[in-house]
Amino acid sequence: MNLTAAKARQLLKDLRLFFVLILLMAVLSVLSPRFLTLGNLSNVLWSVCIIGIMCSGFIYAPITGGIDLSVGSMAALAGIIANVLMNQVGIPWVPALVITLACGMFIGFINGIVTTKFGVPAFIVTMAAKTYLFGIAMLVSNGDMITIMKPKGFLAIGVGKLFGLPIPIYIMVAVIVASHILLKHTVFGRKAIAVGANEVAAKLSGVDPDRTRIMAYVLSATAATVAGIVMASLTQQAYAANAGGYELDVITAVVVGGTSLMGGSGSVAGALIGAVMVGFINNGLNLLNMPSSFHPLVTGVVILLALLLNQGGKMPKFILSMRKRLGDPGK
Amino acid sequence: MAENSDASEEVLLDCRKICKSYNGPMVLSDVDFSMKRGEIHALVGENGAGKSTLIKIITGVTGRNSGTMVFEGKEIGHDHSRTGAQGLGIAVIYQELSLIHGMTVAQNMFLTKEPRMPVLGIINIRRMNSLAQAMIDRYGFNLKATDVIDGLSIGQRQTVEILKALNGKASLMIMDEPTSSLTSAESAQLFGIIRQLKADGISVLYISHRMEEVFDLSDRVTVLRDGRLVEVLEKERIHPNEIIRLMIGRCLDEKDSKCVMERKGGEVVLDVHGLSSEGKFSDISLQLHAGEVLGIGGLVGSGRTELVRAIYGIDAHDSGSISFQGKPWTPGVSQSIRGGFGFVPEERRLQGIMGGISITGNIGITNLDSIAGKGFVSDRKELALSRKAVGLLNIKPAEPSLPVGNLSGGNQQKVVVGKWLIRDLRLLIVDEPTVGIDIGAKEEMYQTIARLASEGVSVILVSSDLPELTRLSDRILVLRKGRIVKEFAEGAVTEEDVLRASSGILEGGAA
Amino acid sequence: MSITALRRLILIGLLLAIGLGLSLASPSFLKLDNLMTLLQEASQTGIVAVGFTLVLITAGIDMSIGAVIAITAMICANFLTYTHIPAFAFIPVALGAGCLVGLFNGFFITRFKLPEFIVTLASRGILAGLALLIAVKDADGFVSNVFIQDPVYLGFGGTVGPFYIITIVFLVLAVLVQFFLKRTRSGTNIYATGANPTAARLSGINTDKTIFAVYMFSGFCASLSSIFLSARMMTAMPEFGIGSEMDVIAAVVIGGTPFTGGIGDIWGTVIGTVFLAMIKNGILKLGISPYIQPIVIGGIIVVVVVVDVWYKGFAERLARNRARRRTAEQDRAAA
Repeated sequence: MNLTAAKARQLLKDLRLFFVLILLMAVLSVLSPRFLTLGNLSNVLWSVCIIGIMCSGFIYAPITGGIDLSVGSMAALAGIIANVLMNQVGIPWVPALVITLACGMFIGFINGIVTTKFGVPAFIVTMAAKTYLFGIAMLVSNGDMITIMKPKGFLAIGVGKLFGLPIPIYIMVAVIVASHILLKHTVFGRKAIAVGANEVAAKLSGVDPDRTRIMAYVLSATAATVAGIVMASLTQQAYAANAGGYELDVITAVVVGGTSLMGGSGSVAGALIGAVMVGFINNGLNLLNMPSSFHPLVTGVVILLALLLNQGGKMPKFILSMRKRLGDPGK
Repeated sequence: MAENSDASEEVLLDCRKICKSYNGPMVLSDVDFSMKRGEIHALVGENGAGKSTLIKIITGVTGRNSGTMVFEGKEIGHDHSRTGAQGLGIAVIYQELSLIHGMTVAQNMFLTKEPRMPVLGIINIRRMNSLAQAMIDRYGFNLKATDVIDGLSIGQRQTVEILKALNGKASLMIMDEPTSSLTSAESAQLFGIIRQLKADGISVLYISHRMEEVFDLSDRVTVLRDGRLVEVLEKERIHPNEIIRLMIGRCLDEKDSKCVMERKGGEVVLDVHGLSSEGKFSDISLQLHAGEVLGIGGLVGSGRTELVRAIYGIDAHDSGSISFQGKPWTPGVSQSIRGGFGFVPEERRLQGIMGGISITGNIGITNLDSIAGKGFVSDRKELALSRKAVGLLNIKPAEPSLPVGNLSGGNQQKVVVGKWLIRDLRLLIVDEPTVGIDIGAKEEMYQTIARLASEGVSVILVSSDLPELTRLSDRILVLRKGRIVKEFAEGAVTEEDVLRASSGILEGGAA
Repeated sequence: MSITALRRLILIGLLLAIGLGLSLASPSFLKLDNLMTLLQEASQTGIVAVGFTLVLITAGIDMSIGAVIAITAMICANFLTYTHIPAFAFIPVALGAGCLVGLFNGFFITRFKLPEFIVTLASRGILAGLALLIAVKDADGFVSNVFIQDPVYLGFGGTVGPFYIITIVFLVLAVLVQFFLKRTRSGTNIYATGANPTAARLSGINTDKTIFAVYMFSGFCASLSSIFLSARMMTAMPEFGIGSEMDVIAAVVIGGTPFTGGIGDIWGTVIGTVFLAMIKNGILKLGISPYIQPIVIGGIIVVVVVVDVWYKGFAERLARNRARRRTAEQDRAAA
């Protein structure tokens, strides 16, 4: 076996996403002259930030072989809880956000417990969670779209700038880097991958699969909470239907980034690129004056395509030849 | 069924010069095999003798490379398939693989063949139940057609399997180790059924390691060894000792097969006392000394694997005690690993490796304690550790970043063993370590185990491979139906001795 | 008594108890009008749930049903607005669209072995987008309300005696499908495919074909329900049905069909839909905030599933002990 060639191929495969991203940018800038303007790109950045923050935690659910469909509702609820704590209860914003985060962790913990200890499929548990979290959000906010005017410290999270760059970017970069380190360089990351790859083998090697999975759902819900706080601060608004379909965007970003939904592999960097792509695609649809209805449509198609490209095994010939051209050595 | 008296002499299945190799070594070479109508025919041989491959060829699961097959006078081509075999009337009794839970006995028996009303294709449930019940009654089974599968015992489920096959008009019924998970009463019942089948003119091909069963039941016995036909024994020549002699074959060469067992006198590392787990094993006591290789023999399903899993701490036990290095020990996987245990499970692909992950990742996961500090893993240490394991066991290709799933079987197994060897090991448990790996890797595995023992590590070796067991072990315990039936500790032991004990023939003669 | 029968008895008891409680708390609950509306609501979910139950029996899941309702409503709206094709002619086309979605789902599930939920989640997104895309728009490109005036079409929202037509259709459909499941070979194949696909294939069942069929039927049921919905509302909107899959899942789960496949029947689903409709009606009658509804639905799914797992474990322990005792007796008798 020629190892250098294999390594070169691997590098090409790793960079494949970048090529696709650049291609996407090129196409969009040709189609719309407004695309490559600073104003537009910073617009894209907002949505990329929210999706990217969500992805940083969400990714652990598919890595351990599960899924978390409750991230969108969780984010919306987080904004509402934070607002209630700060502006109705009157707690200073820092402890209020800490309490909000604790709520998110608790929800994730419940998702984890029900999936692992009761053997209920993760997508059912988290879909149910999505539903009741939405209900709680509606109940607490009375279905209103609440405008958040204070406190200043809280609003600074979304609209403030540091060294000329918006604060949400720092937050996203921070959580993405943290998540990358967690996945690649910590004991938990190793355990998560092992559980997703072969639960029995992991168990025999001394890993506790249930505890690892519960932790994955806690991380997912926590990241969604952070995203919700940033979103509420950015838009100065808390509304139960905010981020309603975000779980689909997050799944798209992660799947496009090469994470397998079957568990055992995942890439935070890939998910970030995926998030940028999702942002570009949505932005492109807007720029091209496509109706908003194209958003879920395109997302659905992209998910299916990405899954087919990620998956080995039975494939129609045209996809196989496409994979070959894209430089994927396959298995 | 038998229209004329000489039906029993009619040849049902005739295989000639069957050859098969998967890729490389011949698994079957020039095997002749025939079955008469209405006979009970036992197929015996050690593990790896080629029994299961022959069955797979007959049932169309796998193809043959050369040779001819004639069934009921018709030549069977190379396009023989599983469904084709079913159509011809060749049925295999799986233990419960082919039953549908949640359905009744009758529904299972008539699946896809339900009797229907003349109009609209509506299933005539009453007729289906009465047909099923009639069949059950004809064989005198203790079953109701309307019983739901989920509530039946394993023995009863097997009966349903047989009924289902009978309903498919089977003329040849193949049973692969049918009694391995049955109670003695259930086994006795099964033998009754088999005799009834014979009386109905149905041929039964029976595969078993339990000599007394083969001895009691069979009209003829075919013995395979190393992929070749050794002999076909007629009824009057069937005797357990004779069968075992033919199966082993090698005992003509006394020097090779006779191993001298020596009790090693190091300190006691592991002391198991009266360990029991309901339905798995009972009252197991054993002592393991430093630097000793303790072999555990017995048939598949005798409780060997369950015992070592309980010692390692994967499954809980009901009663009994374990002490490790002189102190009372509560089993638990993490604790075992910390205490210096290593565990190489059976079924490498399902339990041993994480196929999609690199060699480094597979090795790292059991050594997180030594490569990680405060929750962070040191890539450098992990890589160094996996390089060490790769070098130690000569894993090829020696590239730690390769996914383990891409390696050959032998190298996969080396990774599973290797991840323990780089630890401060006190006790290594290996379960069927050489299944499905090539000769070279096998030899290396043996040397590794011997070297470990010489370094003072205690080894528990579970194996169905008798030459392997007798060659490596300092002592052999034989399990049968969850109990220790024999200990070979000092003096000479042959494969034959172990096989006799496993099969229930103690000290010569039938049990 | 079998554990499933006991579970059903408990469920019916609970249903009656809630009914009694509601009739005491709210005098208008037991009025004929209210009961008929309750049954109409139940049937709306119920028709979809019948198809969904079959999918669940094959151990699959169909998250696209809500979006199928939306797309069907939009197809009908287009026919009603832009053509003069009579209702009985275009309704089969609309129902066919539902089947087509099932075909699409079945293709990706069987051909590429992708997880069911992600395939149907993706097609949900695609369909929701398509529904908005083909929605009837006004001159400025905004989705405009379609007021349905076609008397034949509106007839679907009508009544026969005190019963709404949809209730009758639901009951007839339930009886037919239950009969189909239990009394035809194809019905049996569905159970076999869900319980043990390997064994089903060994017995000669074409499991892929079965999977195609159940997803198509699920799409068909969703389309059927959609036509009744728009007829009742006298309008069609692209938001119709979006999110209603949770109601359906809740109803089926209450009815006792597990996610593991191979088990379940339509009677359970019928009880489950009535149960759910009664709870929703109760929330309304007792004047509780309507926002509590999603909490109740999401909560019910989690609670019922957790209780079921516990209940099943408990029943299995009992059965195992009984079987052990029986084998021990047999062994003793043999010895």
